[in-house]
Amino acid sequence: MEPLTLVESVLDNLPVAVFAKDANDDFRFVLWNKKQEQITTVKASKAVGRDDYDLFSEESADYFRSVDKAVLKRGKLLEVPEEIIEGKDGQDIHLRTVKIPVIEEETGRRLVVGISEDITEQVQSRAKLESLNKNLLETNQELQETQLQLIQAEKLESIGRLAAGVAHEVKNPLALLLLGVDYLSGGIDPADPNVETILTQMREAVDRADRIVRGLVDFSSQRALTREPVQLHAVIDEVLLLVKHELTRSNTKVSVSIPADLPHVFLDLSKFEQVVINLVINAVHAMSESKSPRLEIMARAEKLSDVIKNQGARKYEVFRSGDNVVTLELIDNGCGIDSGDASRLFDPFFTTKATGVGTGLGLSVARKIVQLHGGELHVSDRPDKKGAIAKLILPTKVDTGKVALTSNFPK
Amino acid sequence: MARKILLVDDEAGFTQLLKMNLEKSGDFEVTIENDSTKAIATARSFQPDVVLLDVVMPGMDGGDVQAQFQSDSILNRVPVIMLTALVDSAELSAGAVAQSGSSIVLPKPVDLSLLLRVIDEATGAA
Repeated sequence: MEPLTLVESVLDNLPVAVFAKDANDDFRFVLWNKKQEQITTVKASKAVGRDDYDLFSEESADYFRSVDKAVLKRGKLLEVPEEIIEGKDGQDIHLRTVKIPVIEEETGRRLVVGISEDITEQVQSRAKLESLNKNLLETNQELQETQLQLIQAEKLESIGRLAAGVAHEVKNPLALLLLGVDYLSGGIDPADPNVETILTQMREAVDRADRIVRGLVDFSSQRALTREPVQLHAVIDEVLLLVKHELTRSNTKVSVSIPADLPHVFLDLSKFEQVVINLVINAVHAMSESKSPRLEIMARAEKLSDVIKNQGARKYEVFRSGDNVVTLELIDNGCGIDSGDASRLFDPFFTTKATGVGTGLGLSVARKIVQLHGGELHVSDRPDKKGAIAKLILPTKVDTGKVALTSNFPK
Repeated sequence: MARKILLVDDEAGFTQLLKMNLEKSGDFEVTIENDSTKAIATARSFQPDVVLLDVVMPGMDGGDVQAQFQSDSILNRVPVIMLTALVDSAELSAGAVAQSGSSIVLPKPVDLSLLLRVIDEATGAA
């Protein structure tokens, strides 16, 4: 074993590169430790006595020399967070370096001492991470767009299903209008008391047809999620107009119980209508065998008190005890939920309906929309097992953090 | 003698205007029933010569009302004309109309002159 001084021994075993240049001797290297040998692949025996121009490209050497001079001029330590030297195979080596001006006590030589840490791996991982993060952001963006497209696709499907019913509801006012025209075209007798009634009825028929057509157009509009303060009652009224035909045909009695002083909820009207239409149509289908189909729609404001987490039913997932919410329940007296289906209700493409009746996207999209509103959707059997309950829990204040389209679909 | 027409349809405005048109167009006595579940009772007391019956109604649909008429020993001889705004032919054939057998089906909006002709034929006045 070659005898070394304590300082030499420490220097050669440091995990960082250490070198020193003599400013009085054209910045020639006077110190070059083992780690510096490893990083530069230049042996100390080759480096000591030579300068940067002997060892590195002219461009690099110019740069090193300018830093060295700056350090001496400043007279204090200078940190270079990142500098690049060429490695053996021409690949970049990234270094974090501090340069210290030193005046050697015994000789009076002015030295520049450098201590460099090889941060190549860190830089590479950082670049990789940045690239991955960029990909992730792009993928997330695509996912959000796909989600909205999926929501819209499901909506178009429900419009298709509602179309015949909506047409029926428009044809009724049209039928009335034609009768009015027939009556009046025979000549108008100013003394005929029917004329006023007919004109009033005709005007109402136009309003009615206009409302339902407008409702359908509003419902089919495609927009990004935009929320506004909404009275839940208004949403339910619009929905009942669009599904009136389905309810009449199935002879479903609907009772709506929504307190007048219910706080506003922040909803995207068209997307939320999609959710409620879906739940109403599901209920109608579930009640097809019921003797007297009955759908109760109830809403109330409440302060959550018993937030239960992970207890089988997983009642409240988003909310905490003390949160003020509005709950909307749709309670039917249909066939309820087959116990085997309960866990799959929200799976995309899961359907209990005949081919062509439903794609199985309805509930999974409905839940997604509710989640985008910062709310929750749960479907379960009634406690008395005489039907099913769809329960929506909605926040009464906007928390934009929760609105962000970030969660995966399908979940 | 005026022919008696019973209108069974939940659309109150429609029945009101149809009654006005019919009464203006001929010698008809028209009674309106907007609640289909009361159609049979109203028909028994009114004894119509012809019934104009809507298909899609809450409570009882046109097919159910038609079935009630057919099982009544007097009313089963009264001709029934179905009026419907249904547009889907599959829905039509799956619904009440198919069961109505000999009934005549007219689409809504109703062509009044066609309706009058059909009423004439049904009541033997043609």
